[in-house]
Amino acid sequence: MIVIKSRTLRNTIKVAVPFIIVPALAFAGAIAFDRKRHIIISLAIAVFALLLFAAGFEKKSTGTRRQVIVSVMTALCFIGRFIPFLKPVSALTIITALYLGSESGFLVGAMSAVLSNFYFGHGPWTAFQMLAWGMIGLFAGILAEPLKRNKVLLLIYGLAAGLAYSFIMDIWTVLWYAGKFDIKLYISALGTAIPYTISYAVSNVLFLSLLAKPFGEKLGRIKIKYGV
Amino acid sequence: MRNFSDYDPFAVSVWFFAVTGMAMFCNYPVLMLISLAGGILFFLVRNGTKHAKSHLFFFMLFAVLAIANPIVSHNGMTVLFVVNDSPVTLEAVLYGLNSAAMIVGVLYWFRSYTQLMTSDKLLSVTGRLSPKISLLLSMALRCVPMLRRQADRTADAQKAMGLFKDDNIIDDIHGNIRVFSAVTTWALENGITSADSMAARGFGTGRRTQMRKYKLRRSDIIFMAVTIGLLGVCVAAAAHGSFEFGFYPLTDRICPDTAGKFGIAAYALLVSVPTIIETEAALKWRYLKSKI
Repeated sequence: MIVIKSRTLRNTIKVAVPFIIVPALAFAGAIAFDRKRHIIISLAIAVFALLLFAAGFEKKSTGTRRQVIVSVMTALCFIGRFIPFLKPVSALTIITALYLGSESGFLVGAMSAVLSNFYFGHGPWTAFQMLAWGMIGLFAGILAEPLKRNKVLLLIYGLAAGLAYSFIMDIWTVLWYAGKFDIKLYISALGTAIPYTISYAVSNVLFLSLLAKPFGEKLGRIKIKYGV
Repeated sequence: MRNFSDYDPFAVSVWFFAVTGMAMFCNYPVLMLISLAGGILFFLVRNGTKHAKSHLFFFMLFAVLAIANPIVSHNGMTVLFVVNDSPVTLEAVLYGLNSAAMIVGVLYWFRSYTQLMTSDKLLSVTGRLSPKISLLLSMALRCVPMLRRQADRTADAQKAMGLFKDDNIIDDIHGNIRVFSAVTTWALENGITSADSMAARGFGTGRRTQMRKYKLRRSDIIFMAVTIGLLGVCVAAAAHGSFEFGFYPLTDRICPDTAGKFGIAAYALLVSVPTIIETEAALKWRYLKSKI
């Protein structure tokens, strides 16, 4: 996660990553690696995707005040991960994204993964966790207007985010275990992960319904008071 | 005579990703065995016989992962026995054992890595890559104990005001929510204040510095050079195709060619570098102690 200063480099990355590097990696994975080494390919693609998002961060949007608020939200996510069974990380990421925009949402999601894994254990999955939580924040930011207006829609988004998180992480589990994507293993992995999937979805819905309004008011107030 | 944890964090990271990268990239059984044994040995050298629970957990995980493959995969020619009309094959069992060794070995390495790379070391590494992200991480890290202190303070104040009734669980929850809300508002406001204070002191105008200086010593450079050299040998052997290993339909026999032998030796050496450093430091310390 690097905030890139040079505009040309940023623009190059924006074009090169989705249109050249990712397809090239996918092809290379299909041809050169003989379908055995999909894990390397997917790790590389995850890293490049993170780079792509970093390229999108303008210098202005990560100004000091916003940056500090993002770090406060990240700290709250970190603390929240200590709650047993219920994980408020996605919910807090979504709330941040709603009020501070998709870039901040992405940063909170991705940084919470990096930070909290110091306690919960880093692994090759950290990149995927960063990507999964970051994406949840990013899309919440893009859909901010309808989600802010309609609470039911917000809860549905939370539910979907919980499912998506589990699905993304299980792709990773299978790739790591088998070195290639095996649909049978994937289904059985999804099966064994059902309790976790339910816990993610339930905690998202619960925390969004509990926290969305008070946090929205707080963040909205800060935004008006200090013009973040 | 430094401990491995005192080496330059960037050099340690390079070494670490070399070891785990090779383990994840190849599925050659000998390498998996070296990585697993090395990971456990290094963890034991650093922690002694503590963390019995983690060892038990890793052992259970190993068992589950090893059993999972023959249950879902029925490829392979050597049928061992048949359960519920589905054959359990020797090849699938071996494949499961190999994958389990890879995963558990890498987990052990990551466990040690997390112990080695304390947050200030990570900040020094990310600070070299991107000061902005480094700042974000360090501020969030600082926030965690700060929020806890403020929460205690707020709870005390609210108790003194008579807003808590501890004997009632519903009341307790209400009280804690009130404290949480107050602390969050405070944290956001406090964040803005520190942001303004930082801006007033010229944040972002110059180069950022680190609290702890990690000066690159000669031993760091030697360590990094050794790491890259050994990794080069391993990668060359892998590129030569010496680490190709097929499990299906019949498991290959382990008979490495010359390049493969060099690769295995290089990987074994790479894996044992920190263990050697730690042992050497421990022995030297003991030697010095007995002299005094």
